[in-house]
Amino acid sequence: MIRPVSSLKRGWAVLWRDNPPGAALLFSAGLTALACAVPAFYVLERSLSAGRGRWQGLLDTRIPQLLGNTLTLAAAVTLIASVLGVGLAWLVRKSDLPGRRAWQWLLALPLVIPPYVGAVAYIIILGPRGWAREIFGERVFDIFSFWGVVFVLTMFTYPYVFLICGAALKSINRNFEDVARSQGLGTAEIFWKVNLPFMRPALGAAAILVSLYVLSDFGAVAMLRYSTFTTAIYYRIDGYDNVSAAILSVALLALTLIVLGIEVRARGRRRYHQTSEVFLPPRPVKLGRWKLPALALVLAVFACSLLAPAGVLVYWASLGIARGALAGEFWRFSANSVGVAALAALAAMLLALPVVYLRSRHPSVVSGLIEKLSVSGYALPGVVIALGLIFFFSRYLPMLYGTFALLPAAYVVRFLPQAIQTGGASLNLVSPRMDEVAKSLGCSPGKVMFKVIVPLVTPGLLTGGALVFVSSLKELPATLLLRPPGFDTLSVRIWVEAGEALYHLAAPAALLIIVLSIPPLKWLLARR
Amino acid sequence: MNAIQVENITKTFPGKRSPAVKEISLALEKGKILTILGPSGCGKTTILRLIAGFEKPDRGRIILAGKAVADDTVWVPPEKRGVGMVFQDYALFPHLNVYHNIGFGYRGKDRKERIAEVLELVKLSGFENREPHELSGGQRQRVALARALARRPVLVMLDEPFNSLDAELRGRMRLEIARIIKESGTTAVFVSHDQKDALAISDQVMVIRDGLSQQCGSPQEVYRFPENSFVANFVGQSNIMSGVIGEDGRSVETGLGVIPCEHLHDCRPGEKVEVSIRPDSLELDERGPLLGRITCLVYTGESYEARVDFVGEGGDRMSLLAHVHPERTVKLGDMVRMKLLPEFVAVLGCRPATCQVPRSAGTGRGAAD
Amino acid sequence: MRIIDLTTAGLWVAVIGLFLPGCGPRPDPSAGELVVYSTRGERFVQPLLDKFESETGTRVRALHAGGATIVNRLKAESRRPRADVIISNDVGALEHLRLRGLLRGFEPEGIESIEARYRALDNSWFALSARTRVLMFNRDLIGREEMPRSVRELADPKWKGRFAITRGGNSSMIAHVSALRREWGDEKTIDWLAAVNENAGAIMRGHGEIRRAVGAGEFAFGLVNNYYFHQQLREPRNNNVDAIYPDQEEGMMGAVVNAAGAGLIRGAPNEKDAESFLEWILLPENQREFSYASLEVPVNPRIEAVGEAAHISDYRVHDMPLSALGGVWEDTRLLIERSGLALELR
Repeated sequence: MIRPVSSLKRGWAVLWRDNPPGAALLFSAGLTALACAVPAFYVLERSLSAGRGRWQGLLDTRIPQLLGNTLTLAAAVTLIASVLGVGLAWLVRKSDLPGRRAWQWLLALPLVIPPYVGAVAYIIILGPRGWAREIFGERVFDIFSFWGVVFVLTMFTYPYVFLICGAALKSINRNFEDVARSQGLGTAEIFWKVNLPFMRPALGAAAILVSLYVLSDFGAVAMLRYSTFTTAIYYRIDGYDNVSAAILSVALLALTLIVLGIEVRARGRRRYHQTSEVFLPPRPVKLGRWKLPALALVLAVFACSLLAPAGVLVYWASLGIARGALAGEFWRFSANSVGVAALAALAAMLLALPVVYLRSRHPSVVSGLIEKLSVSGYALPGVVIALGLIFFFSRYLPMLYGTFALLPAAYVVRFLPQAIQTGGASLNLVSPRMDEVAKSLGCSPGKVMFKVIVPLVTPGLLTGGALVFVSSLKELPATLLLRPPGFDTLSVRIWVEAGEALYHLAAPAALLIIVLSIPPLKWLLARR
Repeated sequence: MNAIQVENITKTFPGKRSPAVKEISLALEKGKILTILGPSGCGKTTILRLIAGFEKPDRGRIILAGKAVADDTVWVPPEKRGVGMVFQDYALFPHLNVYHNIGFGYRGKDRKERIAEVLELVKLSGFENREPHELSGGQRQRVALARALARRPVLVMLDEPFNSLDAELRGRMRLEIARIIKESGTTAVFVSHDQKDALAISDQVMVIRDGLSQQCGSPQEVYRFPENSFVANFVGQSNIMSGVIGEDGRSVETGLGVIPCEHLHDCRPGEKVEVSIRPDSLELDERGPLLGRITCLVYTGESYEARVDFVGEGGDRMSLLAHVHPERTVKLGDMVRMKLLPEFVAVLGCRPATCQVPRSAGTGRGAAD
Repeated sequence: MRIIDLTTAGLWVAVIGLFLPGCGPRPDPSAGELVVYSTRGERFVQPLLDKFESETGTRVRALHAGGATIVNRLKAESRRPRADVIISNDVGALEHLRLRGLLRGFEPEGIESIEARYRALDNSWFALSARTRVLMFNRDLIGREEMPRSVRELADPKWKGRFAITRGGNSSMIAHVSALRREWGDEKTIDWLAAVNENAGAIMRGHGEIRRAVGAGEFAFGLVNNYYFHQQLREPRNNNVDAIYPDQEEGMMGAVVNAAGAGLIRGAPNEKDAESFLEWILLPENQREFSYASLEVPVNPRIEAVGEAAHISDYRVHDMPLSALGGVWEDTRLLIERSGLALELR
């Protein structure tokens, strides 16, 4: 009897490379991972329990339609956002564009505008009753069209490409460009042969980010009356046809996995290392006669992605405030939003710590799996998480179903990756020697956690918390589906009021969300 | 009583074929300094981590101050071992100032006095309120040492403590750290890949290669009488030749003729052995018995490092490294006469090296073992 | 760097702390609480609920959503009801819930002011305001003579892209389709739905959106409830609209009428407050409020109608009894879904 036990013990030790974690740590991290896996698991389980007929019915017509809609949208937005983002990043990082430093920050700013808010702004400007029609007398552009959706999503997602590729461009050592120039290559050739290949991993990552965003976006797509998987799932859940919603969700998840698979393959193939120890800052390329067109392009993008929507919102917000939109109701919605987002942020910070610590200090297959499950939320659209939570809570925790506890739960599953990323980044800066010194000075593992690790990673965790907070504040589909009666948030109000074309009521809420989103973006930019 | 005694510990990391540490034994009296010396990746840090309790040995026993802390049945976690650690990067807590870093693990009532005492010892009184990032490299190292010493550990262990210091500071800190440890009366184990560290500050040196102990002894013993060619080359430079022990048992017959030899490592007359000849034992001498041509010459400031080709008795060529006093004028291609000084000539061990553990009363196993 | 991070973080904590006390449902121990699910336009219902809250001190938590959403939610929650009262703009949905045993009858004070045909047998629901399905059109874009005379014509390809309708999950739409089924049978209704789905220029979230779109000339006409037409007339701009009551000619089915009302949920967690709310809403003053907010016609003849609203007696209406809508509600919903109209917006 002793042998199997000891060999089990040995196996456990080998699994953890002789460094098994304490029970409390493993338990809390494992529980977090399981909780994050709940939505996807129950969606899958429900879809499998649906009859063949249900699957057949959807596979025959609906899924191909949605697949076509969703894929063309994702492809168009990703392509245009990539071209635009890379072009702007090159101008800002490599050329002598006037005001380059300011543009680095200004062109990233559209990230603070949730795309559904952008969609509202563009319905006001370009919609059938929009300002453009009043100025030009006729409709210049139909915003309720495929290209309208592409335009809006591109305007609010290109900053991902811009930021990530800009950082990559900045880190390319000038030596490489100098070598290329000494071999007689022109600026364009250098871009294609040196800059672009170096940027490729970053561009790939950014493009994946954009496509994942398009796959998961609900608000902008729904406001512009376009049909993708998320809106189809949303309206199925809304009509309490949860089984069909589950089937559509599984199709969407498969699509997401394919996109992620492309990323993994692309990342595996190419990796560049900077060889030189000496780093020279880049020397700006002279734009010459292209200076004015380049500046015009940058200005146009900035106007479309930030000035115009922000201007519209400020205008309607001021109208609204003059008409008393900031009444008690507004502050109640704000308090709901902030309260539930803060709860999610707090929970995310607390839950991220054990996961991050386990991964960093006890690397193994198990801790890797725990981390992967815990960050799976970033690939799960809000509608799918909401559906999974509806299944889980109505079956196992009916006393909580229909209460506002489901909101922070959904936010945590969706946005925990942000806390894990920042917390992990800040824990990686803390050498494991710190833990060991503390142990050698007589601290138990628990004490090490609280006396050394927590104080050192708190800034990172708080930043993660702030990111979770802002993301939760903006979240729309899960909030719409899971909120209890009488619990409206800012994002819900934007959806409701904009749906009724009551823009003076929607604008103040949208502006408040935008203002609250600016500080965490500053942190993101500082890191890049 | 030995402060630390390690008996036959072996450690293989999961997923690795060969052990990182194999059958290592060592012992150190209270108040002494031991340096574990070896190239990077030789397993020396693993030994240190095994003693500290950050790794578990597969086999063997570790005894600290007479108490077993790891063997087949006993396992004491690092926080209960009372071993002070100083890491290469010092690992000072960045969120705490000097005072709180040093007092981190100290729970006694005399906390304040003890911190003042160790600060005095490392000559950093008045630095209590400094943050770690406000300190120089040498100061950080002393704080790390003071922190390790504050709890009056059974043993303090230093992992490559001088690595991140520049050459000049390194020399000074070496002596300073040795002084502090001696003054505090603590037993210390250093891990280093630099023979200069080891020779300068240690009472005992243990040379490790591929997880196996190569030689144990005082710095003088290790330098003068290396057990094998690895030790001879790792601790200083050396020329290795093969030969046969002479009939008198005091010399070795080699291609260069019969060389007088002070230490034979228990090898018997007539046995085939290898001989280590330090470059310093070859000296220019007009009347020397050896005639050779300088084929390579490097000026290092302290001396010339000359490679001299000799033609042996059997007619075969031998190329040896010699140190030539920098005052002498030699050129590449010169024919020179040299003689051999016996002080730095040693016969290498002809049997596998083992580190003898000095047994002391009160430890587990009897002397008859 | 770290210090700066900490101060920003501190700032955040402070901001959050400022808001946190106001968050979450705060039950007031002294007064009761009432959970209302409503499928009517939030803009019409919420002021009434606020009035109840301020008059009685009972806190009201409302969920405003589409008809299919609310009905299905009540079904899903039937074993553990969360709502106390349902307000619906479709009597069919109320009767459907009653037939499923999800409503509970009682004898509210003032119920006799509502005609028997406008309430359930057991008074578990009662209607308060009536509305008629009309085709509202923009006079700048289309003349009265050109307009379709019957809803049947919406299936005609010549109207492709020129009109707007609501999602199939909308209560009024469900009731309307129930009436069509009764008149035409399922086959024809499905064909009509599929054709309309194909023809409609937009499928919108609600009627409010349709009236604005038609008023602004985005579409020539839209299928709405009549009071949306009256509302659009009251707009300061984009108000050059008119409406026709469809299917008025001899042999046609007549305009489809429906009513909005309220019902009591069986097993309501706050039963007492629910009953007092229903009695409160039957007070003449509040009946009036119920209809006026949306410019509907009160069911109770003693309550005066808003000036411009046409009286039911002025036009030909479909003869289907309202409570008959209840029995076919679920079938109709499934039929709409099968036709494709219950899907997303477009």
